[in-house]
Amino acid sequence: MTLYDMSPKAIIESLPLSEPVLLILLSLAGQPQHGYSILKDVERMSDGRVVLSTGTLYGALRRLLDDDWIERFEEEETSRGRQAYRLTPQGRRNLQGEIDRMKNLTRLATLRVATKES
Amino acid sequence: MMLTVYRTLLRLYPAEHRELFGEEMLAVLREESDDHTKKKLLARGRFFAREITGLVNGALHEHFRAWIEIQDGLSLATGRFNMRNGFRFPKTTIVFMALILAGVVTAIKKGEDIAASVPNVDPPLPIHIQPVHSILLGGLPLFFAFFYAAGLIGWAIMFALRRSGTHRLDNMSAGQK
Repeated sequence: MTLYDMSPKAIIESLPLSEPVLLILLSLAGQPQHGYSILKDVERMSDGRVVLSTGTLYGALRRLLDDDWIERFEEEETSRGRQAYRLTPQGRRNLQGEIDRMKNLTRLATLRVATKES
Repeated sequence: MMLTVYRTLLRLYPAEHRELFGEEMLAVLREESDDHTKKKLLARGRFFAREITGLVNGALHEHFRAWIEIQDGLSLATGRFNMRNGFRFPKTTIVFMALILAGVVTAIKKGEDIAASVPNVDPPLPIHIQPVHSILLGGLPLFFAFFYAAGLIGWAIMFALRRSGTHRLDNMSAGQK
């Protein structure tokens, strides 16, 4: 089943995303990236806390491709073995959904902690 | 040397995954290895261990996923019958299965009619015709065992075909067209 067949409720149920997957999607949010640049970007974004192995990265990319969150991006000048990926509109929408979910959670947490302190 | 190890480990992945991502994964591993050549021995060792663990875990995960997909595709209980092209039955199979089912139902009905037509006298007739239900019930475990075994053999053949990569011939001919 692709996300195109999923109801908004089902999409919400696929959240929250794991941190590596979220970082991979964030890495692709700006521009199409190759596998190696995704690895480096994820490491940079997480300040070296999340270091993905190639096996883990391609496992995640495979799932995201299967679910139509990302797609292969054909470049004019691509050397052998370098394939770029980019977010699909559906993937971008879901990423935005996850960001909104996190924002709400953070706002709620801040409110609760502030109430407790006062 | 490390690339040889990676190449060997990549063979652990299902053929389909290797076709899709093999070259890319090897290219990424090569670039990463180049990054780590100037690093300290400990950092290189950590990188090597991480990549090997990742590849082995990834291969296991992909095999498991492929297995789940096959099970999921074959599951009628969920109302889904999304088999991959390589495993799809020809449409005529459904017709044949329906014909066989109709034949079995008719045979049972005929058997019941015959059983009903035999007069139920006491003491019983010297030629005793066993009711069709008892024949079926008596042979039911054998009946199920036979079809279960047939199903298993069918599944094994499909699995062996998939492992041999025969389904890729379809893609090849489609590509050539």
